[in-house]
Amino acid sequence: MNGILETLSGMKTGGRRLIGCFPLYPPLELLHSFGLTPITLWGMRDAVRDYGTGDRHVQNYACQVARALTGFVIDNGPSLFDALFMYNACDTLRNLPEIVHAGIRETGADLPIFRLHVPALSPDRTGAKDYLRDRLRLLMADLERFTGRPFSAKAFAESAALYAKQRSFCREIEALCTGGKMPFAAAAPLLERAHFMDVREHIALLEEAVTHHAGLPENGSGVRVLVSGIQAPPVDLLRVMDASGLTVAANDIATMARSYGTSPTGSDLLDYYAAFYFDHHPCTTILPAGDRRIKLLGQRVQEDGIRGVVFFGEKFCEYEYFEIPYLQETLNTRGVATLFLELGADDLANLMPLRTRIEAFAEIVRGDSV
Amino acid sequence: MPHETPTGGFKKTSSGKRLTGIIMNDYLQLHQRAAEGAFVVWIAIVVPAELFAGFDNVVYAVPESHAAMSAGKGVGAVQCGKAEKAGYSSDLCSYARIDLGTAMDGGKDSPSFGMPRPHLLVSNNNNCSLLAKWFDVYHRVWGIPHFILDIPFCYEEQTPQDFAYIRGQFADLVRTIEGLSGQRFDEAKAREAVCLSGEALREWKRFTSLAQHRPSPITAFDSFVQMAPILTSRGTQQLADHYRALADETEEQMRQGVYPVPDERYRLLWDNIAPWHQLRKMSGRLASLGANITTASYTYCIGSLEGTFDMYAYDGGDPFAWLARLQNFSVCPHGMALRARAMRQAVERNGIDGVVFASNRSCKVYSLMQMDQMRFVRDELGIPAVMIDVDHADERKYSEEASFVRLEALLETIDAGRRGNGMNSGNPSI
Repeated sequence: MNGILETLSGMKTGGRRLIGCFPLYPPLELLHSFGLTPITLWGMRDAVRDYGTGDRHVQNYACQVARALTGFVIDNGPSLFDALFMYNACDTLRNLPEIVHAGIRETGADLPIFRLHVPALSPDRTGAKDYLRDRLRLLMADLERFTGRPFSAKAFAESAALYAKQRSFCREIEALCTGGKMPFAAAAPLLERAHFMDVREHIALLEEAVTHHAGLPENGSGVRVLVSGIQAPPVDLLRVMDASGLTVAANDIATMARSYGTSPTGSDLLDYYAAFYFDHHPCTTILPAGDRRIKLLGQRVQEDGIRGVVFFGEKFCEYEYFEIPYLQETLNTRGVATLFLELGADDLANLMPLRTRIEAFAEIVRGDSV
Repeated sequence: MPHETPTGGFKKTSSGKRLTGIIMNDYLQLHQRAAEGAFVVWIAIVVPAELFAGFDNVVYAVPESHAAMSAGKGVGAVQCGKAEKAGYSSDLCSYARIDLGTAMDGGKDSPSFGMPRPHLLVSNNNNCSLLAKWFDVYHRVWGIPHFILDIPFCYEEQTPQDFAYIRGQFADLVRTIEGLSGQRFDEAKAREAVCLSGEALREWKRFTSLAQHRPSPITAFDSFVQMAPILTSRGTQQLADHYRALADETEEQMRQGVYPVPDERYRLLWDNIAPWHQLRKMSGRLASLGANITTASYTYCIGSLEGTFDMYAYDGGDPFAWLARLQNFSVCPHGMALRARAMRQAVERNGIDGVVFASNRSCKVYSLMQMDQMRFVRDELGIPAVMIDVDHADERKYSEEASFVRLEALLETIDAGRRGNGMNSGNPSI
């Protein structure tokens, strides 16, 4: 993921209008249909090494995601982005639009920020769908004013088709990992590039990878495990898993499976996003989806022959941390081994302790004698 | 500055003794009515408990309030430890860890023997959204329904669309309780409870506004302690009577010249949740330095709309409407400009010399704007500010000495400003 800044700078220089979005599941199709290139500002672990700017605005007990995002946007936002977009998720993130805005204004620049409140309710609750529709109409009106072009149902349908194709290819890549034809350590960076590339260019990359790997023989002879987390673990750790005899056959990573797991159909924008948000692939950041997440993980474990689950915990991520003990207990009861690893901003310089724990876990799930 | 033996600060008054009785009685009643078959609801603090008064036999418990009380009684760390042993990270909110630890151990070590097990969980994602995840734990482990109130964050004042959305959810909540409990809702009873809450809040505002006087007859620590029954006795005559007596008693003390920090030289504002495990120690030690935290954003927001300092009175109309409009009152669910607006009013009206930003590891939503707010206080309000590290209920994460080094530095900066060489003379604050 090195070179996010260079990639985005190149896109900007090439004449694109970039809109930086957070958190994970912005209405990409809508933004794209207005001629904008949405960039999901999540998982910039490798793009931000110096937290100085972020730490001037956000205490260091915020998660690495928030600290990196804050610093990156304040330092680079005005030169890279034409606007920012955010919707509500956790307690930390809902404070960020104003913090980021204050930081940008301190530099003498400014950026418009569009916001959307996505109902944190199940769709059967009174007013939930209507409220979302109302918010989307307001967002559309804001985007029309900002871009100077009217909403086009045709453009939206085209954008929705592109993102559906991208998500479909992402799922194919995951299936290749599940089938042992592609190592997850190779797939993860490719999948995560979805957030920092033009959708058409990403589709081309995915298609090429699918074509290439589909013809390869199966090589996933390790013990099958599932990895979970709010962002992908460092590739070095995924390689350690490979080397330790673990085959990542499925993922519950927010920037991967949770992002491409939902692909609504239909051309009506309001129905499309009602389906997108209310029936979204379960994620800790979507409050009503918690119960579905547990069921889905259980299903993946069963269907994909998973014998172990590795939780890559994002330090200070409360949403993830409230669910992990219950998930671990539930999985352990079903005979699935679990490993919880915590990753914070300061842990990336020395991954050796984590490597040792992965190797020990691999020995356990392989059933090696001690 | 030398550290003298604490002499002043927080003292138990007759209102304090009465408060103890109210809280004890509230928990006794809660346990007793639950044992007798009442429908029990666990709620987040901002959930409008007045609605429950519309039912004949619904009682409610407030885990956050219970956690604060546990921390104040010195068992916070013990309960946190139980949750941590069960796998809950020590980085999670200490209220949540205390509550989980208490619940998992059947109420052992709790000053109130815990709380009766609920029939319904009602969280609210505006004061803090992690509360929905916290209540989800009980929902899964105990199989209890969980009703989430989705309250949009106020970056600006609450919009009519948000108001209608919130009001609709209150009606949904009432229908849910009717369905689960088999009881009918009587709006007239809820209206009466709202009237009583309005009356209580008016008296509360009268009490906290006494901090404008020099020296102040109250400390913020008094208001921290006295806010407890707002959570456990909402919508009752008892609450209104208590706050009336509290304000009357405080005014009487003023007439008699009784002040918690008689030689008050520094009037401070506290921004964040109270450090429940430190109330007596911190107030006493500050008093020995001639400092009084007279005002707190945590308590001046009670009874006000987002971003304001004054009372939002109930007009006797639609009780749901008043409750919905007040839904963003506490500091957490509103944004930087609104927080700044209310803080400016507090600083100006109460004659504040400096602001203490308590950076609270257990409350990100309250804390993660404070670095920019500090700049606002320094640059726009022209008074010094300091940030100290606290955790509202886990004393293991608090260092008294580290905090007082910074608090004393704040007082020195105020002194320097008074001598004409402080921040107003170009000497930056801490």
